[in-house]
Amino acid sequence: MKRFRGATRATALLSVAALLLTACGDTTNNDEDATTGDVTDEETEATEAPAETDEEETDAEPEPEPVPEDVVAVPVWIAFTDGRLDWTRQVAEDFNQQIEGYAITIEGYDAYEPLFDATLLAVDQGNPPAVVQYFEAATTEAADAVSAAGEPLFTSVEAAIAGRDEILGVPVVIDDVVDAALNYYTLEGEMRSMAWNTSSAIMFNNMTMLEEYEVDIPETWQDVEEACETIMSSDDPPPDCITWPNHSWFTEQAIARQDEVLGNNDNGRTDRATEVYLETDAMIDWLDWWKQLQDDGYYVYTGVQRDWTGTYNAFAAQQVPFLIYSSSDTTLLTDEGEQAGFEVETSFFPYNAESDDGGYIIGGASLWLIDGLEQEVEDAALAFMNYLSNPENAADWHRETGYIPITNEAVDQLEGEGWFDESPNSRTANEQLDAAPDSPATAGVLMGNFVAIRDVITEAIEDILVNDLDPAERMAEAQTSGQQLLDEYNSLVVGG
Amino acid sequence: MQLTFSAVLALVASATLGAVLLGAVASRIARPVPLAAGVGAVAGLVGPLLFYVPLRFCTFGPEAEPVDLLFGLTLGATGTLLALRIARTLLDPAGAKQRAVKRDTTTHGVFRGHPFLPWVLLAPTLLILILFLYWPALYTLDLSTQLVRLGAPFSVDRCVLNFTELIGPSSPTTTFGVLLATLVLFVAGAWLDRRGDSRSERWGSWLTTLGVGTTLLFLYLLWTSSYQRVFTVTLIISAGTVVIGLVISIVIAYLAYQPMRGGAIYRTLLIWPYAISPPIAGILFFVIFDPNAGIIEHWLNTLFGITLPNYRQDPMLAQALVILASVWKTLGYNLLFYIAGLQNVRTDLLEAASIDGANIWQRFRHVVIPALSPITFFLVVTNLTYAFFETFGTIDYLTAGGPAGATSVAMYEIYRVAIPGRDLGRGAAQSLILFAGVIALTAWQFRSTGRRVSYGN
Repeated sequence: MKRFRGATRATALLSVAALLLTACGDTTNNDEDATTGDVTDEETEATEAPAETDEEETDAEPEPEPVPEDVVAVPVWIAFTDGRLDWTRQVAEDFNQQIEGYAITIEGYDAYEPLFDATLLAVDQGNPPAVVQYFEAATTEAADAVSAAGEPLFTSVEAAIAGRDEILGVPVVIDDVVDAALNYYTLEGEMRSMAWNTSSAIMFNNMTMLEEYEVDIPETWQDVEEACETIMSSDDPPPDCITWPNHSWFTEQAIARQDEVLGNNDNGRTDRATEVYLETDAMIDWLDWWKQLQDDGYYVYTGVQRDWTGTYNAFAAQQVPFLIYSSSDTTLLTDEGEQAGFEVETSFFPYNAESDDGGYIIGGASLWLIDGLEQEVEDAALAFMNYLSNPENAADWHRETGYIPITNEAVDQLEGEGWFDESPNSRTANEQLDAAPDSPATAGVLMGNFVAIRDVITEAIEDILVNDLDPAERMAEAQTSGQQLLDEYNSLVVGG
Repeated sequence: MQLTFSAVLALVASATLGAVLLGAVASRIARPVPLAAGVGAVAGLVGPLLFYVPLRFCTFGPEAEPVDLLFGLTLGATGTLLALRIARTLLDPAGAKQRAVKRDTTTHGVFRGHPFLPWVLLAPTLLILILFLYWPALYTLDLSTQLVRLGAPFSVDRCVLNFTELIGPSSPTTTFGVLLATLVLFVAGAWLDRRGDSRSERWGSWLTTLGVGTTLLFLYLLWTSSYQRVFTVTLIISAGTVVIGLVISIVIAYLAYQPMRGGAIYRTLLIWPYAISPPIAGILFFVIFDPNAGIIEHWLNTLFGITLPNYRQDPMLAQALVILASVWKTLGYNLLFYIAGLQNVRTDLLEAASIDGANIWQRFRHVVIPALSPITFFLVVTNLTYAFFETFGTIDYLTAGGPAGATSVAMYEIYRVAIPGRDLGRGAAQSLILFAGVIALTAWQFRSTGRRVSYGN
């Protein structure tokens, strides 16, 4: 027995070493995921958020330096922990150097919802941040949010600016925000929060494969079917033809493109939405088309809800020639093709040729201003919001990340630099959003509990795809749950 | 708070039942009957009030549906039974103690000294438990009766709707029939068991086991179709994890315990998975079985050109993989205990069996397994707890409850409803259902398995 004791210890040591290696290996993988899956903008992702936690723990992020007493501290909380956080911190540093007497500090959170919960706690404890980032689907929730004391949590950005052209010497750019984002974040005629990271759902085409199979970039649903038929019936077809994440955001896009709304009172734009519409013709047509693509063996469902990583990888590994995805990854996906030796070209999200009156909606998040701040702090916060999206910064943000340039001036500046000629794929998102006619459908829905209703939609679609259910029947069930969620929200917030 | 006629009726019925039952007990053990009946009446009154007062008698209110009323009455009846049980112990403390001693075959250490000393020594633990466990648990009770969302300070009282909306049998008559059958089986089982001779005892335990089966069937039939899914998935994954896990562990432990070259190395390596946390187990299995980039897929494809079926699209495969990952994860823990247990299997028994001509299987079946029964019992309890609560991390990384809820066990469902869904009220209600389930299961385990455990004396 004694002879083996050394061996046992050696094994144990080896095991520990191997364990550590495994753990490190995981972290690196996750890091990669977090940077490639540059799409947490749409929603908190169950699979991605913990990965980012790991990251947060492993790299010792230097804490923001303590603020000296004679300057006004302005805490800004955002839901990024990767390069986007670093970028924002750099901008804040520039701001602090240019405008004396203020210290903007940027704190990064794993995801939007923990950030929101932390905000509520901080407000209750009397130590609130000045600005917090929150995602587009939760706009109604943010506008209705109150602290434990029953005070409104946020105040309107436009009202706080009060028509000023510049604040602390920073020019106000809120009037110049591109229409699609302006329309989305305008509630009751006022821009309640400042649009920031904004994207659109577009299609990525593997041009090398398309040429090989001799098909053109499809523009409509019908074109997609045709192209996929050609590709999949060829002698050497790829494993699948097309994919996109099962995220309600894509479904919302398809519905808006058919000029259909998701809620009453003009998508909740003229008055509070009290009815949700999850079984409209536009919805069922979209789902029938989607399911048919799957039944024909064209669409591949990765089996995971909101699977940004799996779908991204399928396209990067050339398993599908078509990918519908967030424009926020335009640069990454284009580079991915360059490295693997195929050409990537972006195009508009395909539309239904039989119903094409609408247009596409934005996705992303905006910056909200905490209510009841001291005047100094509030002004600095507003100045920073505008500074963050001044033409130079907005253009840089676009180049760095792939989010759309948020102001018209930023677009002009990028145009002047020749950026779009250099990387034409980056143009698609803005063009697609600009092409949308002004209507309640394309402004996007404002609705209580919409985040939860999104989950109802996503779950129903997974059920349809995995368990081979009839879209109309399954959506009738989703309609009931969705309406219940909306009723409950309204009874809590309006009645409570 | 408003006392309706039906509420008064229910309370009077409960009090009467208490008086009658305790009176009957008192006459059997020769105690003053009126006193016992009085105690019974008070207990019968207090028991249901424990539930009704916090609920403010809402299940008897005009807005309550029949299912709410029934749910309330069931809660009340549970309260009555609990209170009567306590009252009976109070009425006859000596008898209760005697029964407890008779039932409990374990030899305990006895604590001598002042009866309050144990409480003083337990105080630090209890304090922490109360602060961090029981107090939040009370808060959960409160939440479960409300419509309340995470991050919003509004709430609306919902009575027991969070619970009763999960109840919706497709065929109430069948469900009721199964409930009756269950009650009959349990009562008959208990009666046979009481008779004392070994034949009726065996029959009694058969009936009780059957009763457990019908209980599960009844519970399955009780829910709405969507919660039925959660119930079934939880049963499949927990049972799979515990049964398969224990069978594999006992076999491997027995093999690894055989004297052989390098045995210590094997044993060390086998315990290794225990050191890995459930989410990491999820990630490992994800890396192995991922249909796009997994290790198995890669080799199958390179060597044979076969594509691995995607477990994320197939409910059965997804469940199997979750079970496999959980079994693998608990294996080290189980082995640790089984190998330790094997060291205590008396070698003289094994040698005697060998001399009598028992082969390795017979020795394993008739000597080792019974000798390991206390450990098996302990492992069933801990593994079930693991399956109920800790598989969460594995599931979250492996399937995130998918596809279409096929691996969303009760615990995962609670998280899904309460955290990403931000519906605290419903989450609290579901967690109480899980809580009740775990209590019932543990009680049943202690009664049934506990009795068959041999501690070797």
